[in-house]
Amino acid sequence: MTATAPSYPTVAPIEPPALLLDGITKTYRSKAGAVDALRGVTYHFGRGSFTAVMGPSGSGKSTLLQCAAGLDQPTTGTVVLNGVTLSGLSEVELTKLRRAEMGFVFQAYNLLPSLTVYDNVALPLRLTGRRPSRNDVHRVLDQVGLDGKAKRRPAELSGGQQQRVAIARALITQPSVFFADEPTGALDSGTSRQILGLLREATDRAGQTVVMVTHDPVAAAYAERVLFLSDGLLAGHLDRATPTQIAAAMSDLEPPTGAVGWGKR
Amino acid sequence: MTQLFYLSRQTVSRHRSLYAGSFVALAVGVFLLGLAATATAATIAYRGPAASAITVTTLGGDGAAPRQIRVPFSDADVSGLQVVLNMVGAISGFITIFVIASTFAFAVASRRQEIGLLRLIGATPRQIRRMVLGEALVVALAASVTGALAAQLATPLLLDKASYTELAPVKLEPASPWVPLAIAVAAGLLVAMLGARSAARRAGRVGPIDALREAALEPPRIGPVRIIFGLLFMGGAITMLSLIRPSSGDGAVPLAMFTPMVMVIALTLLAPLVVPVVGRLWAVPLVAWTHVSGRLARSNVVAAPRRSASLAAPILAISAVAGSMVLSLSFAADSAGATIRDAVRAPVVATGGAPVTGPGVKAVDAGVPLQMVRIDRDDAELEDVEGIDPVVATQTRDLTPLAGDVRQLTGNTVAIGKEMSGFEGYKVGDEIPLVFVDRTPVKLRVVAIVKDAFGVNPSLLIPLDLARKHAPKAEPERQFVLPADGVDPASLVQQLPHAQLAAAWEADQAAGVRKGNQLGLILLLGPAGLYSAIAIANTLLMGSLQRRHEFITSRLLGATPAQIRRMVLWESSLVGAVALSLGTAITVTVGILIRHAMNAGLADVPFTVPWGVLLGIGGLCLILAIGSALAPTTYILRRSQPSAVME
Repeated sequence: MTATAPSYPTVAPIEPPALLLDGITKTYRSKAGAVDALRGVTYHFGRGSFTAVMGPSGSGKSTLLQCAAGLDQPTTGTVVLNGVTLSGLSEVELTKLRRAEMGFVFQAYNLLPSLTVYDNVALPLRLTGRRPSRNDVHRVLDQVGLDGKAKRRPAELSGGQQQRVAIARALITQPSVFFADEPTGALDSGTSRQILGLLREATDRAGQTVVMVTHDPVAAAYAERVLFLSDGLLAGHLDRATPTQIAAAMSDLEPPTGAVGWGKR
Repeated sequence: MTQLFYLSRQTVSRHRSLYAGSFVALAVGVFLLGLAATATAATIAYRGPAASAITVTTLGGDGAAPRQIRVPFSDADVSGLQVVLNMVGAISGFITIFVIASTFAFAVASRRQEIGLLRLIGATPRQIRRMVLGEALVVALAASVTGALAAQLATPLLLDKASYTELAPVKLEPASPWVPLAIAVAAGLLVAMLGARSAARRAGRVGPIDALREAALEPPRIGPVRIIFGLLFMGGAITMLSLIRPSSGDGAVPLAMFTPMVMVIALTLLAPLVVPVVGRLWAVPLVAWTHVSGRLARSNVVAAPRRSASLAAPILAISAVAGSMVLSLSFAADSAGATIRDAVRAPVVATGGAPVTGPGVKAVDAGVPLQMVRIDRDDAELEDVEGIDPVVATQTRDLTPLAGDVRQLTGNTVAIGKEMSGFEGYKVGDEIPLVFVDRTPVKLRVVAIVKDAFGVNPSLLIPLDLARKHAPKAEPERQFVLPADGVDPASLVQQLPHAQLAAAWEADQAAGVRKGNQLGLILLLGPAGLYSAIAIANTLLMGSLQRRHEFITSRLLGATPAQIRRMVLWESSLVGAVALSLGTAITVTVGILIRHAMNAGLADVPFTVPWGVLLGIGGLCLILAIGSALAPTTYILRRSQPSAVME
């Protein structure tokens, strides 16, 4: 692991970054007092990059993802996605941007149980008011290897299949940035490999950008760069690292034995 | 829009159980509305025998052109049934809005995560609102059509039951159902959309980040708009309450029936603020009495004010509306009884038209009842009239003139009641155009305005000779008898056929009023009560079924099933007690005001509180509330082991 560098080289220096975080802080206030989840994060995610974000519980990695995706407002700092500053947008503008530019894959609660696989995948297009073309839907289903399951409902699929449907749903709008939060958290290793392979493919083949939060060194090793977050600050990065290297770096970040973390946030 | 409607349809068919409550509630609501509408259509279509109607021309003037009006001229009056049916419709519609609002609020709250997910993948708040309204439309369409069909099937049954009763002493036949059923379906859709609106707005406020959160406790705050509307309705209700005063006359009773509804709306809007406060009060003895279960119940009621509020709403609605109605009508009967008692001065009353003669009889006030059509500027109405001998009648009953002199009631003259004079603006010396049953038009000069005494004097009194001339066949229904000096009324009653002591006759009349009220109450509150029962059970059932996870977690923490059941028992009792105490407060306020309003000028009015009925309403609400919370809890606890939480 390299020492914390003052700046990070972008992966594709010719183009402007797909996602830019500039001095992001996030403070949660409650009756018990203020908690600083993020304390100033600046980073450029290059177009077509696959970045994993790791860190111990409470390091702020989920908050980082939520701020980056415009799901949560940073307390200070700006997020710029493809040249658009998120903080100036209204709820509807933000929704439309999310619709067009972002895809989401999360650990659970991904699919609408009332809709078939086909309808789940077609939903983002329906929300834009367009009638989805059958070819498009079947193309992305084919891409994730589920073309035969279009008429099933989520409950009739395995966890890995459900996650692939979620990826297909994210793929159909051809977003420029994928946000993934523990996408393999609930899956076995074989299924995890398929899912991560699909994300990898999105960056390699379509030039899409992937930002993935994970605690699994094996999953993180699919990224070309792993960012480490500790106590709300970037603590370093590893490029093209093996799972063993990543795990070693993680254990350096964990609080010393005996200290008790306070869970998430 | 069509794309979203597709989604709504899918969601509804998937979450069938979630919407089953809304469906049943709305179907029953539309059924009642539809029944009220088809029956009303039947009463409108009823024309009676053609011979017994008269066509008159209104006076016109003051912007109103004279027009022809056909007035049915018989006892076949169905307006009583119409009034009752209209009220059934109003109450059904009112309660339906409530039920739909609370069931949809539940449906939205339980799908917070799913809605968050939709927001995450690009649905705008507006689209979410439309989706929820779309769901309401899907449910409402199905429910309204079902309810309307059921109403159509039940209409002949209802008309059969309603025919030849006090409310409609005629044979009623079903009329064309299309218009009334279309109205009922449209009302059902409208009511559903109104009820779903607040749920839709709340759904629109769910953020994309909610997709990532575990279902959390609801935000405790209620919006300023809701508070403002709550206060506005409260202000309206208080204004209406202040109108329930002696000068309101006959208007006091309808006011006493509709004010509770406005009050209920106000309290429901403010419920997230009010319910925890009242809940805390009721919880004091509960916490002192039980160990942990009462304490948990208090926390659950107080910490989730919005849920407690929606559980309390239907109980509050029916207890306040039914309680006020029962109490008001009972007090109205008390007041009517006292009025009749005060108006009769003769000690003996003979029923029937047979001439009363014999030793011991000083004078007989054998007034002749008849009907006349009274014509005014823009309308003509059939009025009850009595032909009296002013010399005798002023001795046998209270005909104290407020203006003019009753003794001048000879020739073409009339004495009128105070309320009619106030309503129509007639003064002593005015001429009132009237038409006799024999179609003779006449103009009668007002010679006196007398105290109202409903049940004894109709609002128009004409000279006995005039009445006999135009209605020769009319016979007295009751005759007030003055005994000769020194004759004991009790012994006179023994000698005369069909005679009663005045006190006994008065009691019979008051009992008759009460019996008539009872029929109306059953017609009004029967369906509304049934419906509210469904609503109460529905909201509590849904509320408990949603807490599966919580119950299982509690089991995992070491709570025994009995402890959880006790907690739910206390919780639902607490919510029930809060709702019933608010309902009682409304009932008592309305009761006091209406009593004051109707008893002005009367002394020694009997005080009849129908305790049995009132306590029955409260008890039923409580039993329903507790039962429908406990049943699903028991079911959940039996079906799931603590390990289920690990799934």
